[in-house]
Formats: sequence, C-alpha cells, structure tokens
Amino acid sequence: MIPLSIAVIPWGLLAGSFAIEAGLTSWESQALSAILFAGSAQLVATGMLKAGASLATMLLATFFITSRHLLYSVSMRSKISPLPLKWRLALGFLLTDELFAICGQQSDKQFDRWYALGAGLSFYLCWNLATLVGIVAGSYIPAMNELGLEFAVAATFIAIVIPNIKSSPVLISVLVALVLSVLSSHLGIESGLMIASVGGMVAGYLAESLKGAK
Amino acid sequence: MVILSILAMTALVFLSRYLFLEPKLPLKLNPQAQRLLSYSSPAVLTAIWAPIVFMPEKELWIAPNNPYLIGAIIAALIAWKTKNVLMTTIVSMLIFLCLKLL
Repeated sequence: MIPLSIAVIPWGLLAGSFAIEAGLTSWESQALSAILFAGSAQLVATGMLKAGASLATMLLATFFITSRHLLYSVSMRSKISPLPLKWRLALGFLLTDELFAICGQQSDKQFDRWYALGAGLSFYLCWNLATLVGIVAGSYIPAMNELGLEFAVAATFIAIVIPNIKSSPVLISVLVALVLSVLSSHLGIESGLMIASVGGMVAGYLAESLKGAK
Repeated sequence: MVILSILAMTALVFLSRYLFLEPKLPLKLNPQAQRLLSYSSPAVLTAIWAPIVFMPEKELWIAPNNPYLIGAIIAALIAWKTKNVLMTTIVSMLIFLCLKLL
C-alpha cells in the first residue's frame, strides 16, 4: 500500500491545484477531496463547475465515471457484506481504485479488514494532504496541471497488472480492455471505461472457458 | 451551490461503492459470475491506465517521443522483472518526468 499512497500524491496535487484554478474557494476544493474522495470524478466535477454545467449534467457525468465502483462493490461483496454495518460503511466509503487494486485480487481468506481499513485510511490521508498542498501551490504555480502528474496512477496500475498476467485468459482480458478503452476514448464515448472493463472481463471469461473445453 | 453539487455527487459515488456490499440486497453470485469477476481487477485497471498512456493529449499518440508511452513501457518491464510495485512507480515516474520536462 506504500506505493499506492505515493501514487495518489501527484493526483491529489493535481486535484487541489485544478480546483483553485477553476475558481473554487480553498474550502470547496478541500471539501471535494474530503467528502467526495474520488480522483477522476473530482477532476471532471471541477471542470464542469468551472464551465458552469447544470447539476443534472454533472450527476450524469459522475454516474458514468463512478459506475466502475459498482464492479468493485460486487467483486468485494463476498468479503465485505458479512461484516458489521460500521465496517461496511467505512470500507464502502474508502473503496477507491487504489483500495480495489490492493484487495480486488485477494481471496476471501487473504482478505483482512484491518489491513483494508489501514490502506484505505492511508490513501485518504495522503490524498487530502496532497490536495491541501495542491491548493496552496496552485495559487503560486499556475501550470501545475501540465506536468503530467496523472502518469503516477498509470505507472502504479501497470505495476499491479503486469505481474498478475499469469495465464493467457488474463492476458487476453488485459489486451481487450486496453484496445476498447483507447478506442472509446478516441471516439469520445463517455461510458468507455465501463465498456472496456466489462469487455475485458467477458473476453477473459470466454478465453478461460474455451481453454477449459479443449 | 458548489457545496450542494459536491454533496449530491458524493451521495451518488457512495451509493455506487456501497450498493453490493449491503447484505440485505438479494443477490447470490454463482461460480460463473465469480469467475467473470475474477477478471475485474486487471480489466478495470487497464481501462484506466491505457487511455492515459496512449492518448495523453486526447489523440492517439504512438511514437517514441510520447513520454507517457515510453514511461509505461519502462514501468511494464520493471514490473515484469522485479514484481516490485514501489520501485516500478518511483523509477518510471522519475524517467517520465525527465522525458517530459526535457
């Protein structure tokens, strides 16, 4: 979880400085990270607040971006749903891309609620501190969003995905998700992330079935 | 108004994270569904990183002067050889920043 805590720092900086640049107050910028706590949804929301989009438009865009969390929550169901309510609420709130990157591939036996809580809280803390620094720095360094800070997330996810490609169905799943996500992004399809994710999952599943049938 | 929008989006995001964690929701996952979900981690993570790497400027950019692509290839090589996430992140980030800023 240390690498992921480091990887959220550049994103947090970006979220904070971008919110200030978009004309939000320091409080509003920090509230985005403290309450919403969702990297990509925050960046899009900030952009739309800046553009003066209606609440309905913002909610629709948020829904497209956040729909992948439904996948996370259904994948984590066997691990988290038997826990008491306060655990479910806490881990639900903390269920980000990063937490899922760590716990998503654990078996039910490997899953440790305290570890998940610790990881989730450490992301929350790093994310919010980085946002604060971004808010302060954003007032001084205007071009911070041109540094390419989002590469940190890409690098971390690559580092998690690549060593887990241990079979041909996983490789196929990754390749299909890759091509579909780039393609939908190219075509400007808003729900591209979901299309690519589900497409990759189905491709991996089918490849596994074919392999088993041989 | 801004705070209201933030709260409305928060409700939506939290709901999507919590929905299937609720045990009262009647949903039984059969072995097929569980097998399908075992691919969710590589598929979703790839769907997030691939557009950042291949189209950082919103257009397809496959060329040796794309620092995101070079950084990603280096990250993939280090991850494959070492399986060390921390080292992969730090080394590839440093190389990326050098390429980007030079």
